[in-house]
Amino acid sequence: MTGRRTRTLQMVVLVIFIVILGRLFYLQIVDGDRYGALSESNTLRREVQYPPRGEVFDRNGEYLVQSKECYDLMVVAREMDRRGFDTVRVCSVTGLTVERLRRALANARTQPRIPYKAVEFLPTEAKLRLDELNIPGFYTVYRTVRQYPRKIGGNLLGHVGEVPPSLLKRDPSYIKGEYYGISGVESAYEDVLRGKKGVKILERDNRNVVKGSYMDGRYDTLPEPGKYIICTIDARLQAFAEELMQGKVGAAVAIEPSTGEILMMVSSPTFDPDDLVGRERGNNYMSMLNNPRKPMFNRAVSSRYPPGSTFKLVQGLIGLQEGVLSTSTAYPCSMGYHFGRLKVGCHAHASPLDLRAAVANSCNAYFCYVFRNILDNKRNGGNTKDNFDRWRDHVLSFGFGRKLDSDFIGEGSGYVPEREFYDKRYRGSWNSLTVISLSIGQGELGCTPLQMANLAATIANRGYYYIPHIVKKIEGQDSIDSRFYERCYTSVDPKYFEPIAEGMWRGVNVGGTSTGAMLQGLDVCGKTGTAQNPHGQDHSTFLTFAPKDNPRIALSVYVENGGFGASAALPIASLLEEFYLTDTIKRPWLVDYVKNKHIYYPSYAKK
Amino acid sequence: MQRSRVSGEIFEGVDGWTVLLYLLLLAVGCISITCATFTDESAESAEIFSMSRFYMKQIVWAAVAITTGLVVLLLDARFYHMFAYPAYIGGLLLLLATLVLGKEVNGAKAWFEFGSFKVQPVEFAKIATALAVARAMSAYSFSISRFGNLMKIGFIIGLPLLIIIMQNDTGSGIVLGSFLFVLYREGLDNRLCVPILLIATLFIISFLLTPMTILILLILVCTLAATESGVKTRIVYLASLAFWTILLYIAGGIISPGRLSAYACLLTVTCLSLVPVAVYAFRNNLTNIYITMMLFVGAMIFLPTTDYIFNSVLKDHQRDRIHSFLGITNDPHGADYNVRQAKIAIGSGGFAGKGFFEGTQVKYSFVPEKHTDFIFCTVGEEHGFIGSLIVLGLFCALILRLMHLGDRQQEPFGRIYCYCVAAILLFHVLVNIGMTIGLMPVMGIPLPLISYGGSSLIAFTILIFIAVRLDASMRRNSPGAL
Repeated sequence: MTGRRTRTLQMVVLVIFIVILGRLFYLQIVDGDRYGALSESNTLRREVQYPPRGEVFDRNGEYLVQSKECYDLMVVAREMDRRGFDTVRVCSVTGLTVERLRRALANARTQPRIPYKAVEFLPTEAKLRLDELNIPGFYTVYRTVRQYPRKIGGNLLGHVGEVPPSLLKRDPSYIKGEYYGISGVESAYEDVLRGKKGVKILERDNRNVVKGSYMDGRYDTLPEPGKYIICTIDARLQAFAEELMQGKVGAAVAIEPSTGEILMMVSSPTFDPDDLVGRERGNNYMSMLNNPRKPMFNRAVSSRYPPGSTFKLVQGLIGLQEGVLSTSTAYPCSMGYHFGRLKVGCHAHASPLDLRAAVANSCNAYFCYVFRNILDNKRNGGNTKDNFDRWRDHVLSFGFGRKLDSDFIGEGSGYVPEREFYDKRYRGSWNSLTVISLSIGQGELGCTPLQMANLAATIANRGYYYIPHIVKKIEGQDSIDSRFYERCYTSVDPKYFEPIAEGMWRGVNVGGTSTGAMLQGLDVCGKTGTAQNPHGQDHSTFLTFAPKDNPRIALSVYVENGGFGASAALPIASLLEEFYLTDTIKRPWLVDYVKNKHIYYPSYAKK
Repeated sequence: MQRSRVSGEIFEGVDGWTVLLYLLLLAVGCISITCATFTDESAESAEIFSMSRFYMKQIVWAAVAITTGLVVLLLDARFYHMFAYPAYIGGLLLLLATLVLGKEVNGAKAWFEFGSFKVQPVEFAKIATALAVARAMSAYSFSISRFGNLMKIGFIIGLPLLIIIMQNDTGSGIVLGSFLFVLYREGLDNRLCVPILLIATLFIISFLLTPMTILILLILVCTLAATESGVKTRIVYLASLAFWTILLYIAGGIISPGRLSAYACLLTVTCLSLVPVAVYAFRNNLTNIYITMMLFVGAMIFLPTTDYIFNSVLKDHQRDRIHSFLGITNDPHGADYNVRQAKIAIGSGGFAGKGFFEGTQVKYSFVPEKHTDFIFCTVGEEHGFIGSLIVLGLFCALILRLMHLGDRQQEPFGRIYCYCVAAILLFHVLVNIGMTIGLMPVMGIPLPLISYGGSSLIAFTILIFIAVRLDASMRRNSPGAL
């Protein structure tokens, strides 16, 4: 009896130990990996290390965009200490309202394991105080925030914002809450500026206190800072242009003809890029969206303006190329161009005029003759519509009616009507008289200010242009894209450009519509434009480059509803030229005139 | 010369295996406590050997414990027999004194404090109770089958148990339940033994296993217990049970798929089978089978109530008390946190463990009470399955060895005492390791010889070395046994 019971008890002991061992086997060997992962998730925290975003300099090395350090406060709802959580204290440190913090925490609880960004843009002092408090479930992440020391070039430089879900899906290299460039330079050079994220694996204890890096940092990666960019922009010129364009709607673009570098690009109204940074960003963004003048619409590259008389330069060049015009050809003008009942009006000037004088005086009648001669040219079979196609090809070779392929995102193509467009509109029956308004840059023609500045650069170069671009140098790269180093010739022979340039010079320096733009010793060449439009007063535009030989700057200024080319656009362009070429302003009265010029915009009035 | 004679006298007949296993476990304890409490910061500071460190304290305690063991060996075996009742009364008084004068730690008023040194009298009350039980049961007139005698034993065990429960220290009190092990060894009637065990086991496993597993286990145990019928009959019974269940399951699947679960099928078939079994038992006049059947039915009724008891009866008082005993009342992650973290620690150890001082769960205090009640987590995390296997092996060997010491005793006093020690150790190991791996509910009792704590270590040392002493004098007195 005793022996049997002893054996039973020995069996009981063995069974108990086997059960424990079996359980251990299950925990440690069968399920070991799962528990291993759980132990890691307990201890390890993967902290994304955001790189500082690349900075942007102007052509003279001045800061356009800086990256300032700031911190995001992340919360992991699962790790929060609900009972011991002091809402008011967190609010006082972060400067958040209690209500907003509560809302953020409620959002965080929807996915309790995933870090949720409770507060953005914390200054370093707040970060240090939070580190001191060491609240369970909360931690800070290093970020950089954009800063614009000169507060210029809102549309030009663009802004950054959080990656939207659509991009997250498309590009897995982004993570939730990361910033990316949305517009302007930030967007165009996103790949260069963003840098590369790193990861830091930290070990922490049960109180969420970080105890050091995992495996001495063997699996950590360092963030690679974004590269800096040197812009082609001249910050001082840009700032001055924005100052002059204030209160006006329009755009101004300046290009260095010998390189195609964009020296200045203003879309007016503009905005302070700092407004799209920080916690007030959302409100500012909405108020800009609701502004009827659309400050976030980049008129310099996206709008479609009728070029007006500035387009006569192109007509003259095509006429010369097509052989329907010589420099000595003269046409009469009696206050306009008359053909049957049709009349294209003109202003009072001497008559008849040759090509140079017609450019200088911006004679409408002269270019009506030229345009009709181009279209009705008998040499190539005499078919008006075929000639129209030839004319259109010439125009496109100047960069009109298509994108210039610059490095700027959101570049518009403008519009040069096709033959099919008129066939449709006039059911096939149209001739050179039907489309006569094209001759003076009116009608269906639409150009971006960038394209017009490019025209100025092309004439300044006497027949070719470099694709306008915004970036001069990228850190660590010897050159920018090769397409920016190629000369793009138009389909007009370079030898025909000189007389046109001379006409522009005469218009400024001898007598014509552009005399207000004369600058002593700078040999300014210019062409005014006054474009009729259905929105009110004529648009005022001015196209210029200087000096005549070896030009250093080509400019196009476009002021909506500014009246005559000479009344709004010309003074602005002239001042900018003077400022860029001489570094001084000798005509302060003109600056006052420009600044005080009040333009009425009925089409942008609030409804 | 004099010295060697004395030492020879002390160690004469001492069981080397028990002492070796004891020393090995003591070493494991010191190493584990070092692993559990040694942090990188402490490595950098100059005070690695400072007495404020847990592992340094434990090493000192180990030395004290070994000295105590030697003192225990020095005393005569008859002294323990004589000493049993006075010790028991002393133990009771100590417990009562604790109740009045003791210090409350984590909700349990079970500690005496002398300066920075705390003693838990219940540890020593266990020794006294074991001695008293051995003394009472070894009395010449004692017969376990007599109800009066059994009541006497129940009284001896119940009295300290009552005081311990009044101290709010139920975990330690339940340890005294392990004397059932001894009673069984001494011939306690199966009819009393089996139901008690069954209820206790069911209570515990009902939280861990699915109803299906419990039912199958129950059927197997009951069939195994019905020893009056032949092996063949029982196999036939089980086979037919399985056959009908499968048949019913398939039939149910054809008639209305998804309605009838396998559990329902088995339960139905088993319940129906009770009728032919009863008939069989009646025809063959097998009373034992009736008892087994009643046990089965009783268990089936009892099972759903365990949940109720644990959640409704125990939840409010006991559970909170157990938690507060461990000092985790302000834990934000809920009641499961401790066991969960302990399981993560042990599970993440894998086969070979994370290595010395590499256990992040323990090092970074995710495991609560890492150096006391949850010390086994350190073993599991840093030394993996291999380390756990070794520690469990040592315990198993020690317990079996103590049982062996008991069996080779000629005096019932020694035998019963050795079994008491084995039972107490077994219960501690089962509950302590069981709770770290989710086999047992959390009870605040230490892992013998390994958990940090001087009073527990010394108490277990005394407990074991009295057994060794009794064994040694028996062998000394009857050289034939040597």
